[in-house]
Amino acid sequence: MTPALEITKLKKRFGGLPATRDVSLTVMPGERRLIIGPNGAGKTTLFNLVTGDLTPDEGSVKLFGQEMLKLPTQQRVHLGLARTYQILTLFPKETLCHNVVLALLGLDTMRWNPWRYLAGQSHLYAAAREALALVGLRDSAERTVAETSYGERRRLEMAMALAQKPKVLLLDEPLAGLSQQERQQVRELLAKVPRDVTIVMIEHDMDSALAFAERITLLHYGEVIVEGTRAEVVADPRTKEVYLGE
Amino acid sequence: MSRGVVALIVIAAALIAVPLAITNDFYLNLASQILIYALLAVSLNLLVGYGGMVSLGHASFIGLTSYSAVLMLNAGFGHLPSAILAVLFSTACGGLFGLLALRAFGIGFLMITLALGQIVWGIAYRANTLTEGDNGIRFSARPRPFGFDISSAPSFYWFTLIVFAVALFFIWRLTRSPFGAALQGARDQPRRMRMLGHNVWLIQWLAFVLSAFWGSVAGLLYVYYNLFISPHAISLQQSAEVLLMAILGGASTLTGPIVGAVIITLVKNVVSTYIDRWNSLLGAIFVVTIMFMPFGIVPGVRQLCARLRGAKKPERAA
Repeated sequence: MTPALEITKLKKRFGGLPATRDVSLTVMPGERRLIIGPNGAGKTTLFNLVTGDLTPDEGSVKLFGQEMLKLPTQQRVHLGLARTYQILTLFPKETLCHNVVLALLGLDTMRWNPWRYLAGQSHLYAAAREALALVGLRDSAERTVAETSYGERRRLEMAMALAQKPKVLLLDEPLAGLSQQERQQVRELLAKVPRDVTIVMIEHDMDSALAFAERITLLHYGEVIVEGTRAEVVADPRTKEVYLGE
Repeated sequence: MSRGVVALIVIAAALIAVPLAITNDFYLNLASQILIYALLAVSLNLLVGYGGMVSLGHASFIGLTSYSAVLMLNAGFGHLPSAILAVLFSTACGGLFGLLALRAFGIGFLMITLALGQIVWGIAYRANTLTEGDNGIRFSARPRPFGFDISSAPSFYWFTLIVFAVALFFIWRLTRSPFGAALQGARDQPRRMRMLGHNVWLIQWLAFVLSAFWGSVAGLLYVYYNLFISPHAISLQQSAEVLLMAILGGASTLTGPIVGAVIITLVKNVVSTYIDRWNSLLGAIFVVTIMFMPFGIVPGVRQLCARLRGAKKPERAA
């Protein structure tokens, strides 16, 4: 079976600082993978290398067997990659609905049309509302991002990624800054994502993340220290040492 | 009928009726001039307001279109082929300029457009055998589109108004289209737009080309109006003035640059007959506007109206 995401010997240095050293990672289709590691372990850098926001010095990133390193970000998205950002990256003056419509347009050839009336494309807006309903934002569709709470914005990030029906979804700390109740909502949302979506998630909230993950990769100083099933990684003494504490 | 449609019909009727109310050729020609500058400012604003790319080289499209139209006409081409080829040539140059300018963004983009504008100006100034240098060259006569004579001031005004209306309609459609949404998205969050599958570079390049195209159409009107083109028409000051029109009126809106064009053209041509220091007046207008309406006149007035109506909804400024 072709892995959904196959990262081989990926290296990236920022000046003298190696952010990613020889990271290899294989995620099978439908898998729920958790990436953990202390601050500065290179987790977000790894995502940026996979999406093409950064160019690695060496290595390979394959999506369903296809090499992606030479492709610009938007083409990787067209191959089925989607991500959310740790630091919210939204369109603050626009409505939530418009934010999701921009996500839908990204994969629609209509995005080049300079003549059609966008607000009249009811199928796009219906699909956008559907994606918002999925994350529990049905009633907020017409509000602007600036008028929403942090928790709602986090969920909007998820709605934009899910609306694209990606094959591989990268979630960068989707629970960060959320209240207990909001965390519960996001956990339920993640549990509902169909199995044809492969999910790789960076998360610090171990309670939520451990329940979600099937396999866990522990990064430390840009290297994979431990990898295995949930039980294996939690039991590994090196995990305790670098991450969970004594 | 919504209020917007009624307002549009009233404005259109008023614009069509201008030559009936103004019989003085000087003021009627001024109205034509305002329309030409308004089209220049609106086309530049595709880049500045909707694309977030501030350019200081927009006057080069006046030059590229005007000079090539004159040269082709003098070389024996008819009016129609000259006009079409001149606009196409100028737009193609815009495509090339876009390739170069989009190597950078922000200040870098601005400096490259400025340099490209200066190159066009420099060629017009120096290539004496082709352009007659500082003396400029004459355009023999206005064309007769579909057999209509547009040599008189009223007929030329109507001709300009038709071209302006068509251009504005296309640009208005663009700003509300999927492409327009993508262009504004690329302005606000380029990185996110890439991650959503949008080709940000191509979006911005196409916006540059479209801006160049409508700028070139305005350039053609410019040479039809003046029947003359010289390097003065495409100087840095001209580019800066068009940019000022867009910003003064409000770059986040479609109509703002039109308001800016009206004010600046009137101050330049009418007020300057009464006051020597009209440039200072223009500067003062600009400073006062930006102090009280930092996003320009049209967004500022809208905000004011909203406040007077007691509506709490804040103005969406770009």
